Amino acid sequence: MGRILIVDDTLFMRTLLKNILSSGGHEIVGEAEDGDIGVNKYRELKPDLVTMDVVMPKMNGIEALKAIKSLDANAKVIMCTAVGQEQMVKLAIKSGARGYIVKPFQAPKVLEEIGNVLGA
Amino acid sequence: MAEVPAKLEKGGSWVTSRIDIGNDGIVLKDPWNTTVSYRSIVDLQKRGQMITLLVTMPDKTERTYKIASVEKVLVILTKKIIMACNAYRIMAHFMSPAIRGGVLVTDARWEKGAIAVLKTGIWFVSQEKQVSVPLKEVASLELTKRELQKKKLDVIKIDHLEGGEVVTSFILCPLSTLQVLYNFLRDATKDMDMKGSELDQLDAQTAQVAMLIYSGMDTKSIENMLSLPPEELNSIYETLLKLKLVDVVMVRKEVQLTPKGVRYITDALKPPS
Repeated sequence: MGRILIVDDTLFMRTLLKNILSSGGHEIVGEAEDGDIGVNKYRELKPDLVTMDVVMPKMNGIEALKAIKSLDANAKVIMCTAVGQEQMVKLAIKSGARGYIVKPFQAPKVLEEIGNVLGA
Repeated sequence: MAEVPAKLEKGGSWVTSRIDIGNDGIVLKDPWNTTVSYRSIVDLQKRGQMITLLVTMPDKTERTYKIASVEKVLVILTKKIIMACNAYRIMAHFMSPAIRGGVLVTDARWEKGAIAVLKTGIWFVSQEKQVSVPLKEVASLELTKRELQKKKLDVIKIDHLEGGEVVTSFILCPLSTLQVLYNFLRDATKDMDMKGSELDQLDAQTAQVAMLIYSGMDTKSIENMLSLPPEELNSIYETLLKLKLVDVVMVRKEVQLTPKGVRYITDALKPPS
């Protein structure tokens, strides 16, 4: 089980992820509604894993991912994006993302992916 | 290929027999003792170690044959059938599964092979892979773009349900063929099309509830997440049921204690005398 930070600009998606991850026994240590806040919270909370939305208003997920990786090269970040933005996958993986979730997603698969990344 | 052992079904009984997989057809020994040409096969379904063939007979009637054998034999037979049966078929690249339950399949890669649309399913067949997508399980079909070797290429995206999971596959081929295949698939899955008026009935909250159901949330979690009273959520469920977007899988009971129940609990909590 891991300590997880959720970064997503929509309350709905944050709440959904929080529910799914909590039901899987993970601890949600923080939430952020934009990339820059996510980076600050990462620095402050040192979570085991971050779920990171790609499209956010101020700092997008790819920039936030790069910033987190520069703080901690071993940071485990799973990107989360909508269908149709899969072209971001390569960019995210190149930038150090450990996994990729496409919205809409299903709880068991998300928990499996989180478990895989945390166990890696 | 020489004759291989197989079990053949007739009239509900399975007979240990043999089949001969030829270039133009398959010879079914006892109890059928017949030859089925690949061109006469209009449908193929595979369940575990068994395949079911739907064959158009010379008098235009249809007959079903069921064959059970080891995986190696079924793989060879399936490939022969898909490449020669009576179906819409093109050579293309495919990636299946590419996304499962919203999570990218990490070892997914483009496979070169054939795509065949049969009566009840779409088959992807390559040198290494055989995937079937039942048409009745297709949830969405979309012409979209995907990046491949730094180029944005047109692809068909197919979502289908498999054991409760949404599985996404992609098909890639020249645009003109892709458009024809897309139209063919649209036609084959037209039952899933929704009328505009039906979609108009869905408000934002109903869409949110649908998305939470998709994500696997139960009724209690949905009520908590959206701060919905049970009556309101029931009403949204009714809308989704009416639109055939959901099925009832369980009716949960809410109960309260009777006086007898209260007495039982009161007694149960008394310290032992």
